[in-house]
Amino acid sequence: MPSVLSIVLLALAVTAPSTQDGEAPPILVTRQLAASEGLEQGQIIRLAPDSRGEGGRPFRIAGVYEPVPDPARLGTLPREVRLHLPDLLALTRLPDVPAGTEYVEAINIALVDPAEARNFARDLNARMPGVSARPAAEAAGSGATFQVLRRFHLAIALVTIIASTVFLLALTIMLVDERRETVGLLRLIGLPVRRILVQIFLEGLLIATAGGLIGLLLASASESLINAFFQWRYDTALVFVRITPYVAAACLAVAVPLGTIATVTASWVLLRRNALRLARR
Amino acid sequence: MNGPPSSLIVRAIGVSRQFTMPAGPVTAVRDVTLEIGAGEHAAIRGPSGCGKSTLLHMLGCVDSPTAGTLLFDGQDVSSLSDAARSRLRLRQIGFVFQRFFLLPMLTAAENVELPQAEAGAARDDRTRRTRELLEFVGLGARSDHRPSQLSGGEMQRVAIARALANRPRLLLADEPTGELDQSTGEQIAALLDRVNADGTALVIVTHDGVLADRARRVLMMKDGRIERESTR
Ligand SMILES: Nc1ncnc2c1ncn2[C@@H]1O[C@H](COP(=O)(O)OP(=O)(O)OP(=O)(O)O)[C@@H](O)[C@H]1O
Ligand SMILES: [Mg+2]
Repeated sequence: MPSVLSIVLLALAVTAPSTQDGEAPPILVTRQLAASEGLEQGQIIRLAPDSRGEGGRPFRIAGVYEPVPDPARLGTLPREVRLHLPDLLALTRLPDVPAGTEYVEAINIALVDPAEARNFARDLNARMPGVSARPAAEAAGSGATFQVLRRFHLAIALVTIIASTVFLLALTIMLVDERRETVGLLRLIGLPVRRILVQIFLEGLLIATAGGLIGLLLASASESLINAFFQWRYDTALVFVRITPYVAAACLAVAVPLGTIATVTASWVLLRRNALRLARR
Repeated sequence: MNGPPSSLIVRAIGVSRQFTMPAGPVTAVRDVTLEIGAGEHAAIRGPSGCGKSTLLHMLGCVDSPTAGTLLFDGQDVSSLSDAARSRLRLRQIGFVFQRFFLLPMLTAAENVELPQAEAGAARDDRTRRTRELLEFVGLGARSDHRPSQLSGGEMQRVAIARALANRPRLLLADEPTGELDQSTGEQIAALLDRVNADGTALVIVTHDGVLADRARRVLMMKDGRIERESTR
């Protein structure tokens, strides 16, 4: 498969079909560009390397593609076309530059098995000293924007968890306090403290698990809604929210112990008091 | 029934109970020595605040004396763990309170079944015992009703049935007729008499002279002490 590069288009003009039809090299255009300029497959258009349209050449639209979403360019229409590398070079080469002396700063390489990216990069770096190869995912992750975003997300998550823990504790203390009579009564009848604590622990576990699951259900339900809205808003295939098994597990791993501990702590405080005073209020 | 209290259930030796309050300690019970034998029928009377309830709670192992010794079945209660003391309350002692203290979300039958289940009784035995008890207190037909669907007298009867669930040796009642009108109170008093006649020792705290007069032994309390004791 020939290598394919994309270029942000500077000038673009639709030309009437001419005798050059057969010779016009094929290109692909993004769905968004096709939509905004009213382009269709089979049309002949002129592409030029500068905005004045000088030095333009005709190309045939061989197809429309959905561009790989790029969060760094959110909100800008991907007005892009893909050309075969020789066509691109021919189009962009300055008149005084001899063919074959061009250079590129970076290329993306698609691997059949993306999991091999790290090994491939290591191998390439060892073989070609002048080249710096690294997995694309890593390159994106090391971007300062993403670091900041990630920390921001973490901060929001922590604040949410701390705030809701305080809320949860207040709530369980209220709930447990509402049951002080019952607890006092059970103590009077002769239920040992441990037995009541176990009961409350099991209840807390059940409620926390149910609450965690309901939260996940809610999140999954809103996941597609949120994505649909922002994908519509920014006309992109970018996924904004995704509840992965890891995220779900992390949520439960935090929520269930937290809920259970809150319930048991609140109850323990209550159970330490005299049964009679509990029952009598 | 009036045999000598040969087998002692509970024995208080110089017990006192002091509460620490912000304004200083309050001594509710002072140096009380008392024995309750099997099958006894005793009443505790005295002015409000003289320490009747506090004494009863100590006899029922719900509260612990701050001084003196309390022996239940010859065992020093203060040396028992929470689990052991809970077991004692569950199996040996029944409590009836002025305000019934039924679990509102359970039916009458479930309220009576609860202590039996906790004591590990088999389901069939529990069901049978519960039916018997509710019939004994005259509520055989109301077993599926919740406390909110019962009158005060009926709730107190369920409470008595619950207190008897595990065949306790000692039934303690704190003003069991306090919230009931006179005729309902008399029904409850008669019911308690029958419980005692069946061999359960009974200690009733009451302001009600009529209820106290049914007891063979009346203890008069004042300022935390047993001031006077009379036996019929
Ligand atoms: N938990 C407690 N904390 C502090 N003081 C208490 C407590 N329980 C009882 N007291 C005090 O101990 C004294 C005796 O109380 P107790 O309830 O035994 O009286 P009582 O004889 O049952 O009164 P009543 O007839 O009104 O029920 C009272 O002065 C009371 O205020
Ligand atoms: Mg009292």
